[in-house]
Amino acid sequence: MTDTQAPGSGLHSPGSGPGGLAADIRRGTHPLSRFGDTLVGIVVKLALLSFVNGAAIYMIVRMVTLGAPWWGLALTAAATLVLNVVYLGKGALPLKYLVPGTLFLLMFQVFPFAYTFYIAFTNYGMGQILTQEQAIERIERVSIRPLPDAPRFDAVPFADGDDLALLLTSADGEVFLGHPADGLIPVDELDVETVDDRIVAADGYERLSLGAAQDRIDAFTDLRIPIDEGEIELVSLTSATLREQTRIWDPETETLVDRLTGDVYAPSDRGRLVNVDDPADRLSPGWRVVVGTENFVRAFTTDAIRGPFLRVVVWTYLFALLSTVATFTLGLLLAITLNDPRVRGRRFIRLAMIVPYALPTFMTALIWRGMMNRRFGVINELLGAQIPWLNDPTMARVSVVLVNLWFGFPYMFLLCSAALQSIPDDLYEAASVDGASGWGRFRRITLPLLLVAMAPVLIATFAFNFNNFNIIYLLTGGNPPIAGAATPVGHTDILISYTFRIAFETGAGQDFGLGATVAIMTFLMVAVIAAVSFRWVAPLEEVNR
Amino acid sequence: MHARLKFFAFFALFALLIAACAPDEPAAPVDEETPEEEPVDEEPEEEPEEEPVDDEDEPVVRAEADLVIWADDTRTPALQPFADEFGAANEVEVAVQELGFGDIRDGLVVSGPAGEGPDIIIGAHDWLGELVENGVVAPIDLSGVEGDLEEVAVQAFTFDGQTYGVPYALENVALFRNTDLAPDVPATWEELEETALALQEDGEVEQGVVWPAEPADPYHNYPVVTAHGGYVFGMQDDGTYDPSDLGIDSEGGLEAARHFGEMIERGVLSPDITYELMIEFFGGGDAAYAITGPWAMRDFDTAGVPYEVTPIPDIAGGTPQPFVGVQGFMVSAFAENELLANTFVLDYMTTTDAQLAMFEADARPPALTAAFEEVADDPNIEGFGEAGAAGVPMPAIPEMASVWEAWTDAYELLYEGALEPEEAFEQAAEQIRGLIQ
Repeated sequence: MTDTQAPGSGLHSPGSGPGGLAADIRRGTHPLSRFGDTLVGIVVKLALLSFVNGAAIYMIVRMVTLGAPWWGLALTAAATLVLNVVYLGKGALPLKYLVPGTLFLLMFQVFPFAYTFYIAFTNYGMGQILTQEQAIERIERVSIRPLPDAPRFDAVPFADGDDLALLLTSADGEVFLGHPADGLIPVDELDVETVDDRIVAADGYERLSLGAAQDRIDAFTDLRIPIDEGEIELVSLTSATLREQTRIWDPETETLVDRLTGDVYAPSDRGRLVNVDDPADRLSPGWRVVVGTENFVRAFTTDAIRGPFLRVVVWTYLFALLSTVATFTLGLLLAITLNDPRVRGRRFIRLAMIVPYALPTFMTALIWRGMMNRRFGVINELLGAQIPWLNDPTMARVSVVLVNLWFGFPYMFLLCSAALQSIPDDLYEAASVDGASGWGRFRRITLPLLLVAMAPVLIATFAFNFNNFNIIYLLTGGNPPIAGAATPVGHTDILISYTFRIAFETGAGQDFGLGATVAIMTFLMVAVIAAVSFRWVAPLEEVNR
Repeated sequence: MHARLKFFAFFALFALLIAACAPDEPAAPVDEETPEEEPVDEEPEEEPEEEPVDDEDEPVVRAEADLVIWADDTRTPALQPFADEFGAANEVEVAVQELGFGDIRDGLVVSGPAGEGPDIIIGAHDWLGELVENGVVAPIDLSGVEGDLEEVAVQAFTFDGQTYGVPYALENVALFRNTDLAPDVPATWEELEETALALQEDGEVEQGVVWPAEPADPYHNYPVVTAHGGYVFGMQDDGTYDPSDLGIDSEGGLEAARHFGEMIERGVLSPDITYELMIEFFGGGDAAYAITGPWAMRDFDTAGVPYEVTPIPDIAGGTPQPFVGVQGFMVSAFAENELLANTFVLDYMTTTDAQLAMFEADARPPALTAAFEEVADDPNIEGFGEAGAAGVPMPAIPEMASVWEAWTDAYELLYEGALEPEEAFEQAAEQIRGLIQ
């Protein structure tokens, strides 16, 4: 076994027995598994585990203070426990390798998908982001208004132990000590102590700095000083006025009463407080509720969404297909050319090829947009023409694919280069002996063997471009617009950019529920394509067997 | 060893991720659909360079302090000394966190209800529709200071009968004129068009008058629309907008559409001018006039072009009414320390010193009357003030999202000649009615 091992394959120490790597790991004789038994290994392991545990404890404390749901706490605790058991225990070696992967699968694949799925069944969006409790609290809070013509006071927080008071100065300069039990007492009647004309103590109460008042902020927020017209409360830590709350929630009857109008509001199943006598009278904000399949029904039946949908879908497929074919063709051509030893300066050219891949899309897409400006762009200035690169519907589609080609070909070039080098030379030699032409060799050897490696990449590229929001949004923003459309939509809009417009930029604000719904539909489309294409390319892999 | 180390590193990350997801509102529930860039036409009052182009999906987390303020990169340095002073004078800890301007709004909506938000944000009044509808801003009682503030500024921060912010600056577009190329203030828009075309034909300038048209920009176009009697939403008696009265396809709106078609035809308006090109052309003396706001002054000053700011002259006998945007401080509904936050914005940000410091930072005319008067001896600031006095507050109602989207498309179609001008506006109006029901 060890004799056939290529030199330099460091994983195999000369001493390892028959059965290879997997067997080594099972037996615990692999150097990696032995490392855990050395002193350094144990120290490192404990250090890292304690770091993880420390982080987990910090998290749990934070989650408790933020009032996170119980299952969040339970999940975190369980995950931490699993990690400790697996890595502290002897044996269970396969688990030591599998647990991280499984956890990441749960975190990055299962959770986001499940969450998106859940959102699709809610009305999460503008005006529906809070919980019911938060929303009702906000409605009550917003209904607190200053009384008309209410007197205003400059206020200074005072305290005598736990007993709080306010020094209040009215608009006409009268100074009172306001006390929650005794109301307003003119300071003239009190025993006051002043420093530099500032009252620092009155009737045993001492002036507080804002910082000291801040330390008892809850008590000061709740402080009410009764006078004939109502109650004085703080507006800020330096001013106070009379206010009243006009809407009050009654948890007993689950209704909210507006004291000014007498209207009664009750929670609806849409996550709003609605006037029981007038369904059109709804209060903001609302809260998030599960609305069942409503978003799906809406996506299929609303004219504004359905209208241009088919058009957009067709272009999405076309865009993804053209982008994939174009980048693959160019990448392959360049890879074959640069694979030929007769080309000089291959290393430099290869490096230069990768430049577009290395630059951030966010910058370069905007630069392309500038270069493609009809009247002032560099491209048209060089050509001495006024080509409507981004203004004409057809040209804009061509431009989007061209720029995407520029972004995408280096990736294909890199992968094709690697795949080409893995094709054994003796195949070509044998073909030459049999008298195959250059084209014949390419068609019968290079392409089939290349596709074995590249087919999954092509499928992934297709799926990526199917959802390539960045390039569309940054280069054309979906423009030019389609004349006569029922809803704003452009000739270069793909499904994902169209969804973005519908769910986030139109209507009465953001609609995450609808966005998640279309995301799921898009996912299904891509999943079907991927499944079909993988079945289609499966025979290719037979080549290698 | 290496592999194992990596696993542990991942665990740490995983642990933190759970923490990030634990509150009921994850930062980005549908990742692919919520990129953080601001669409240009949703924030027309912001110069594109200020738009942060970052693709970070990390949620913004509240700094550890008694009072946390979120501000953008231009305002943070101006605010910092006042925050420090407030903190030192009152023995409290104040932190100013810097975010992208658009991220402040989105961050407040996401982080506020999760208990990770700030106490105070800097923002534009036209965010109010969204923020109030979502219940994430708290009303502020302005009765103690409103007499000192410009009336239109207070009005802009009034939503549904409550005031929600302390305004500090006003902004609107006006006419920049290169005083070398066009020494005289044009008496009418028609005169401006003639001068612009003459300079263009003589080859003295690349484009006589410039304003952003690629992508089409309903915000910069609004003065022309209003001069012809068009409007976006009708105004109710209480000074708020009525979403059921859409004026894009009103008689005046269609008249404005025809004027845009005519300007394209005659070459007065070039559909290929981007915001950057406008800055480049006017700054470089390649344009005689530019229509834009105070945020562009710094760029023009840097370029060293001699200019003067005046209101846009009357168009076809009507007075142009630009959108007026108001910048201000808002207090989060989920502020940990609402009273302290109110103290800071009501006592510290309504002083002449503070408003002048903010003016130094971003050149927007102050909303505090006393501060405005201090800077109004600069004729350019006065020019903006004069133009703004004729303006209307930009609607803050959430329905505006549909308007920006559909109206931008209509202008694009009009500029390209894909639709007749009237048809383009009628289509936009129909789309908007369909979207807002």
